[in-house]
Amino acid sequence: MRKIIHVDMDAFYAQVEMRDNPNLKNVPLVLAKDPRLTNGHGVVATANYLARELGIHSAMSANEAKKLAPHAIFLTPNFAKYQKVSQQVHDIFQHYTDMIEPIAFDEAYLDVTNNKLDIVNEVNLARRLQDEIWQQLALTCSLGISYNKFIAKLASEYNKPVGTVIIHPNDAIEFLQQLPIEDFRGVGKKTLLSMYQEKIYTGADLYHKQLGWLTNKFGRLGYELYQHVRGIDERPVMWQRERKSIGKELTFTLAITSQQRANDVLNQLVTKLVYLLKQYEKHGRTIVMKIRYHDFETVTKRVTKPDFYKLDETIILAEVLILFNELGGLKKPIRLLGITFTNLAPISFENINLPLFD
Amino acid sequence: MKFTVNRTAFIKELNDVSRAITSKTTIPVLTGLKLVAEADGLTLTGSDADISIQTTLSIADEAAALSIEKTGAIVLPARFFSDIVKQLPEQQMTIEIVAGFQTMITSGSASFTINGLDANSYPHLPEITAANSVTIGADMLRQIISQTVIAVSNQESRPILTGVHFSLNEKTFLAVATDSHRLAQRTETLSTDNTSVADVIIPGKSLNELAKMLENVEEVELRITDNQVLFILGKTLFYSRLLEGNYPDTTRLIPKESDTLITFNATELLAAINRASLLSHESRNNVVKLLISESGAKITGNSPDVGRVEEELHVKKQEGNELEISFNPDYMKDALRSFGNIDIEVSFTVPLRPFTLKPVDNGDSFIQLITPVRTF
Repeated sequence: MRKIIHVDMDAFYAQVEMRDNPNLKNVPLVLAKDPRLTNGHGVVATANYLARELGIHSAMSANEAKKLAPHAIFLTPNFAKYQKVSQQVHDIFQHYTDMIEPIAFDEAYLDVTNNKLDIVNEVNLARRLQDEIWQQLALTCSLGISYNKFIAKLASEYNKPVGTVIIHPNDAIEFLQQLPIEDFRGVGKKTLLSMYQEKIYTGADLYHKQLGWLTNKFGRLGYELYQHVRGIDERPVMWQRERKSIGKELTFTLAITSQQRANDVLNQLVTKLVYLLKQYEKHGRTIVMKIRYHDFETVTKRVTKPDFYKLDETIILAEVLILFNELGGLKKPIRLLGITFTNLAPISFENINLPLFD
Repeated sequence: MKFTVNRTAFIKELNDVSRAITSKTTIPVLTGLKLVAEADGLTLTGSDADISIQTTLSIADEAAALSIEKTGAIVLPARFFSDIVKQLPEQQMTIEIVAGFQTMITSGSASFTINGLDANSYPHLPEITAANSVTIGADMLRQIISQTVIAVSNQESRPILTGVHFSLNEKTFLAVATDSHRLAQRTETLSTDNTSVADVIIPGKSLNELAKMLENVEEVELRITDNQVLFILGKTLFYSRLLEGNYPDTTRLIPKESDTLITFNATELLAAINRASLLSHESRNNVVKLLISESGAKITGNSPDVGRVEEELHVKKQEGNELEISFNPDYMKDALRSFGNIDIEVSFTVPLRPFTLKPVDNGDSFIQLITPVRTF
């Protein structure tokens, strides 16, 4: 039997902001650019629990949120900061297991069946993890513990915030039967309507449907639902999931107009990128250069080598400068520069060179 | 110019000369074949500026049934000309310059007229004297080429490594190629007295073409200058440009000692490596691991996205330390193919140092060296 924990940071971005600025704690806080500054564009990334009580939720338009909570504080999300904090959280995960599947900055699955601390009781382990995140980062999270990913995620959502919910295999069927049908993975707005038409409102209603009927009606999803409502989900924690690309881009409020500054920025991007590639132990065969000009004209160009690029700033920068010029370089002021590596492979081996020219 | 010739004999020469002709040239006249008819024979020349091939059909050659009615010279578009000649209806054909550079090709009832170019605009082939020359057996040369040219680099970033390094002194003929991940070296003791000394780098591409022409040839005379080499194959001349620069000193790269020594049949090992690389080729981890222990040797390949392979190897003899070493199976395959069906000795020092393969019963005259792969 596997032991899987789904970790969900409570209102993550909002929580980080409130931690760093306690004045934000007792007011509705919305993480979105203030709609007055963006002519009403923009969407809510997240909101704290006070704002949620007013009906604000993520993915809502910022304008709408503003109408619901005119006095709420709107804060532009600082993704670089959240990424950094997310990394700190992951570093704590690493104390327990290497089998970590990140879903987003604020969410991850951990397979702790064989954990580094040899803790047998998964509830003790979860509590310890939750406590460690709180002690070290002053952040709360909700944990769902079960024997598969699907139920672990449902469990973490069951008692938010600061919850720890374990669902044992013996209790799983009962737990699933009482769930509203929309809580099942894959049941979105459209499927929900069909479900209602078929008078399926809860897990129990779903449970009583035949496999053939479900697959006829919902195809592959029907099969998955049939399995899920029986507590079956064999998907492994994809802790070795491979990144398809690694990139870095920078936007400039003050557009770039000089070659000197362009060179500095490209140099900076390449240095960061090489650092990231080394961190991920990856190398790539393709470099993609992206330029967005002040008028939002966006151009990209890629170059692919038969062999992997050596993780050497000088070599990569030379390649990048060629791409930069081929794209048009400084023909207009530049507002964004980005460099991405794709066609990645793990640096799992390296062919040794003969010292021919030493 | 006007001559009549037996088509089969002519096509044979045409095929050889055509090896040097490419449509991808910056010098337009080189897309053509140069024909020169003289009183005693007909000369065909093709060139891509790097390689030039020239061959002569003599009027004394019975099979060619060549008769020169009028001397002269022309350059004809090689591709058209070759296609035409090969499809003519009769055994005999006649080629004649009719007006200006217009050339008529007739055979039986078929007659073509194509536009040629002025033979005077064709570059002159280098003049190479016999001052620095050596003669070796064609079979031996072909073997030397096939055993070394596999290791040349195809990366233009180090042009010098795209060639095979030939060095010649009084007694020995040494050929070395390396792309920095593997190295092939062949040494041959010269039977006849030789007074020539040379140190040249011949492009791998030239040698590949040359090797195809060495069948049905007994001996080859090499003539060497500073920037050209000429191979004389009977009535055919093969010129190649030389690569400029100093070839790295490779003698120090071949390990002198060995800590693990193991004997395999090259063909058997090749088959096993071929099997092991079936999966690794599909994967980005093109690596095969060799494990040598007291109980024998086995190869394994692990390609996370495809699967695993493991095979016990048939070891003929084994001595020395246990070892675990990873390598690129493609290099191994190329090296093994160059031995044929003989027993070879594979010699290792430590896991991250190059290892060598050589024939059991042939001393150090032929060595393949392969660098291992460091795995993380």
